[in-house]
Amino acid sequence: MHLISQTPLVAQLVSDAERLQHQYEFLSYGLTAAWVILVIYVLMMVARERKLKREIASLRAMLEEKK
Amino acid sequence: MREKIIYVLGIAALVILAWNINAIARLPEETQQGVTFKIIFFHVPMWAVAITAACAALLASVGFLVTKNFRFDAAAVAVTEVGLAFTTVGLVTGSIWGREIWGIWWTWDARLTSALVCWLLYAGYLMLRKAIEEPTQRATFAAVFSIFAFLDVPIVVFSIKWWRTQHPQPVFWAGGSFPPDWTMHLMWNMAAMLLLGMVMVAVRLRQEEAQREIDSLRRTAHAL
Repeated sequence: MHLISQTPLVAQLVSDAERLQHQYEFLSYGLTAAWVILVIYVLMMVARERKLKREIASLRAMLEEKK
Repeated sequence: MREKIIYVLGIAALVILAWNINAIARLPEETQQGVTFKIIFFHVPMWAVAITAACAALLASVGFLVTKNFRFDAAAVAVTEVGLAFTTVGLVTGSIWGREIWGIWWTWDARLTSALVCWLLYAGYLMLRKAIEEPTQRATFAAVFSIFAFLDVPIVVFSIKWWRTQHPQPVFWAGGSFPPDWTMHLMWNMAAMLLLGMVMVAVRLRQEEAQREIDSLRRTAHAL
């Protein structure tokens, strides 16, 4: 009798927990996507920076040789 | 000195973000959307930075056309590229939020469509720059294109006022019911994202200067 009276409450708790888990899942997708995109962009900038520095160094070395 | 300012601003942005994310995590659930609603703390600031970048790109493009100073052209490309990264995040976070709340990843309503068009226009701006070799011609064409692209920005901003859209009306400022302490956290995130955007623009500007130095070194090498 005691168990039966508690069943709707348990079902409600389980349903709330599932809803919350689902919402957290989407929140984490959103935040992860935001940071992943920004981090990829930052990494692209870092790679470009290195490439530019290498290019400047090699051009300067070439000019030194020509002089 | 400039390097130090970039580092200080970057660290300040990350500290504000870390503190604010911690505070946002402690906020209660929103009554209708639950915790998913907290995506707003990233979605709106990303768009705020993107719109600010678009305005800055417009000013820099007009500045280049008026003065023919290449510093304006460098500023325009720097803010456009950073703005495009933030626009991408705005679109993606909005889509994920929409999937949870509306049950769909995307809909062709006025706000979402004009936002996608905005993304395509600014991506087109960067592609146009790659396609033109001659610097003056590239800067002039790009500046004109950037001014044309900006015409879409007011449409993105006001589309939810002008048309009935799936995208909701603003929940704060224009008569919305955003709680004041939530607004404060949103503002802090907006400030942090703006700082982060400024740091990225500063780094990108430095890269444009390096590119100009490379062009000049190449010209010297050819002349020798």
